[in-house]
Amino acid sequence: MIAQYELYIILSFIIFAIGAAGALTRRNVIVIFMCIEIMLNAVNLALVTFSRMNQSLDGAYMVLFIMAVAAAEAAVGLAIFILLFRKHGTLDVEKFSLMKW
Amino acid sequence: MEQTVMIIFGALTITTSAMVVCARNTIHSALWMVASFVSMACIFVLLHAPFLAILQIIVYAGAIMMFIIYAIMMLNIREEDATRGPVRKSKIFGIGLLIVLTLLLFVIGFNMSMTALKGPITLQVFEQFGNVAVFSRYLFTDYLLPFETVSVLLTAAVVGAVVLAKRD
Repeated sequence: MIAQYELYIILSFIIFAIGAAGALTRRNVIVIFMCIEIMLNAVNLALVTFSRMNQSLDGAYMVLFIMAVAAAEAAVGLAIFILLFRKHGTLDVEKFSLMKW
Repeated sequence: MEQTVMIIFGALTITTSAMVVCARNTIHSALWMVASFVSMACIFVLLHAPFLAILQIIVYAGAIMMFIIYAIMMLNIREEDATRGPVRKSKIFGIGLLIVLTLLLFVIGFNMSMTALKGPITLQVFEQFGNVAVFSRYLFTDYLLPFETVSVLLTAAVVGAVVLAKRD
């Protein structure tokens, strides 16, 4: 039987893998953004688990700051999406080739 | 008992996260995402972090998803262009990455021996003083500088978003 905390770490790993695969396979910018949020959330789970394991609150504070940074990222990211949509009329990542080498 | 609940919510989180990736319609993805965040919050409760669980629901499932759903509705994306073109390179990379990460998972899962430090914040401390009290005590002493820095970051982000999206 796997011990309790290992189970949480494995769960976080699986969710991170799902998020990473989604960010690489999908085309819509907003779905890619949501996949990045899933990855952040998986990291949050790992940090909370470590924090509980070590009986310390450091991991929990990191989660708090990750949430704040994710909110900031969402605000700026969606503003950029709106600009992109205004400029190109689509949200398909394949169509954005300005910074592609 | 706790393990059973954990497995149930873990399976729920995995399923909903996979649905975010698989759903064709963007708004369906966003709604699955809310479900994923809520079940993740339940897992945080199991880890004795109810304050973080509430924050998870308010900030992620509330604020961030509201942003995303507003953006989807404003941009009026009905369907993802479901053109079944040739398989792209990035799709192969993505599936390959998933396989590699899963293999890595098994390597880690079978070799993991996690040793934990025994810090001062035990469950008894939580029971005695309450979760939020303990949390805020350290937040406003040891972590005061990062806390204030994050508030500056949030302000800057909001101003930046307004400036970016402003029609000129």
